[in-house]
Amino acid sequence: MKKKLISLMLGTTMVVSALTGCGGGGDAAGGSAPAETPAPAENGGETADATENAGSDVSEPVTLTVLAGQSTTDAGIEDMIDEALAAQYPNITLEWECVDWGNDFQPKMQQYMQSGLPDIMIGKAQDVATYAPQGILGEIDAMYLDRGLDAARENVTIDGKTYGLVYNALYQGVYYNKTMFAENGWEIPRTQEDLQAIIDDCKAKGITPFASHMVDTWSIGNVTMQFMMNDVFNHDPAWGDKFRAGEVSFSDDQAAQTAYQYNQLIFDNTYPETFSTEQTDCDAKMVLGEAAMKVSGSWSIQNFLDIDESFDFGIFPFPNQTGDSKLIFEPNITIMTSADSEHQDAINCVLDVLTGNQELAVEIYDYTKTASMLKDVSPTFTNPSQADIDKYAADGMIVDVTLGNNQLVWGGFQEENAKDIAAWLQGDASFEDALKASDGRVGTSSAN
Amino acid sequence: MKKHNTMEKNMEKQYLLLVLPGLIIFTIGLIIPLLLAFRYSFTSWDGMSAEKPFVGLKNYLDLLQDADFRSAWWFTLKFTIGNTIIQNVLALLFAVALDSGIKAQKVYRTAFFVPCLISALIVGFVWLKMFSNVLPAVNDLLGTNFNFLLFGDGKTVLSGLLIANNWQWVGYWMLIYLAGLQSIPGDLYEAAKVDGAGAWTRFKNVTIPMLAPAITICVVGITTGSLKVYDLLVSSTKGGPGRASTSVIYQTYTTAINGRQYGYGSAMSVSLVIVLLLVALIQVKGLKSKEVQQ
Repeated sequence: MKKKLISLMLGTTMVVSALTGCGGGGDAAGGSAPAETPAPAENGGETADATENAGSDVSEPVTLTVLAGQSTTDAGIEDMIDEALAAQYPNITLEWECVDWGNDFQPKMQQYMQSGLPDIMIGKAQDVATYAPQGILGEIDAMYLDRGLDAARENVTIDGKTYGLVYNALYQGVYYNKTMFAENGWEIPRTQEDLQAIIDDCKAKGITPFASHMVDTWSIGNVTMQFMMNDVFNHDPAWGDKFRAGEVSFSDDQAAQTAYQYNQLIFDNTYPETFSTEQTDCDAKMVLGEAAMKVSGSWSIQNFLDIDESFDFGIFPFPNQTGDSKLIFEPNITIMTSADSEHQDAINCVLDVLTGNQELAVEIYDYTKTASMLKDVSPTFTNPSQADIDKYAADGMIVDVTLGNNQLVWGGFQEENAKDIAAWLQGDASFEDALKASDGRVGTSSAN
Repeated sequence: MKKHNTMEKNMEKQYLLLVLPGLIIFTIGLIIPLLLAFRYSFTSWDGMSAEKPFVGLKNYLDLLQDADFRSAWWFTLKFTIGNTIIQNVLALLFAVALDSGIKAQKVYRTAFFVPCLISALIVGFVWLKMFSNVLPAVNDLLGTNFNFLLFGDGKTVLSGLLIANNWQWVGYWMLIYLAGLQSIPGDLYEAAKVDGAGAWTRFKNVTIPMLAPAITICVVGITTGSLKVYDLLVSSTKGGPGRASTSVIYQTYTTAINGRQYGYGSAMSVSLVIVLLLVALIQVKGLKSKEVQQ
């Protein structure tokens, strides 16, 4: 009788557990719900016990609001997440607001900081440095963070608390047409002299050295940070802080000026219509063999392979002055949560789906053509540049761009500097004017 | 007498009641934000933090030294002047042509009017594709070498934007001129003809003065609309190349929101409001004095 009673109690407990909280949805393909209850999460100074809330909210239908600041590769992943969530946690619905990260994420965040944040925000790792100090982001539960790579945590952790869950990563550098390189006997350039030799040979053979799309200011801003990483931050990791302290400036620092001047090198060695060419057209030119190289990031892979799935390309870091350039690594999709959300347990369920459902993760990585930041999860798409990435990783020649992006923020600084660089390239402003304008913007170079 | 006064009071109450919803919306949507912007313009608020430190007139003084803001004003002025002249002249010419009794008048009228039904964001995108892809392809097809990459060069971007903006709005203003033309009494032209006035004299001395109210509406509408240009730029040039097509509103938005300088951006918007009010006031005063009462 006693045994029956215990069995009944255990059975009841299991049924109740299965119907409520993060265990409510049953198994998802490739990743089951966590067996253990979530550890308490600290949110904006308040301790919210996920276990306490689990079950009370998710047993009832819950709609979570999501602000997704997307890169060009990301549009469409919301449907995949919805589908996986519906299968695993049918009571949770996500109400998506998808915006362009570069143009609209920050304005939206500013708006929501006045009216109340969405439950979940998806941005980039650098956003954590912007918003966490405002006390508005919730700490991510260690259970979900532990499913990710340790390398992903460093730049989303402030004062020992991690406010972002980095989901995937991009690599940035110079994409090159492998076939073209092989046919012309070009070696991967390590120094500026090596690169110049390839450019000269390209020109002699009537090949456009670089594909570029300078109509997109973000593209100029992006490559400039790549240049800054290898010529400035790799040698002086605190350059941005020194800039704010008045110890260095763009007008005085030769390395920073060199980084800006690489834009001129690209501009002089690309097609004349770069200021009228959008990314898709630019990527198409690269795939069609109209250009040999493109300074870009993993976001181009989606286009490359969509246009021609057999396109053979590789990647190398843009050579710096000292010949020790590193491939740029950028934590991309970063999930943040609101410190004040009333649905912390439902949020944890979403984090559970994102980090625990390996099939979903692979689907997203294959779709976005990006690298995994989850343990034991690898994309299955064929990435012709993966061998190069592995080589640089093995040699320890990869650097996280969040270092630069956290010190010199995108909105209001890098973005504005890129406009001045464009004006300089167009002949509407002098190089000195562009440098001076960057120096004058020192007040907006940091998020806080 | 007492009954008359009561009636008047009732009428006043009714008017007030009718005006009230609009007044409330106008106050909440425009007056209060305007007052708040005015207040923020004296602070260094970043738009995020709770503190809004008071900085007095610093933002306004900084505006005077801000080369980017001056450049934005210079572009906005050129865009406004170009639009006001081109749009008024073309709209009037098209209206006169359609009023002259040409065939298929309705077809032309519809064709000219349709673009203004499209969002400016779409118009910007359409013309970006036109200049970047479609027209260069036509070049290739015909073997010609016209420079259609107008958005890709700081020296030609204004022309490209004027083409896009005029393509969209000429039809709208044309309808206003057309309505004005159709309301001019025919006997005025008859009388002028009897007095021996030729076509040009009739146009100059009858049509233009009688169209003065329509001209006031069109000039003020086009000028203030052009001073506020933003959405067309967002989808076409994004203020570029460089800063070549950054308007005052575009600069204000990027400064206040992307640049997290809400206080400074508010000072920019206050300066724009003052200019808008002044321009509208001067134009209305100037043009009203030339209007003819029918």
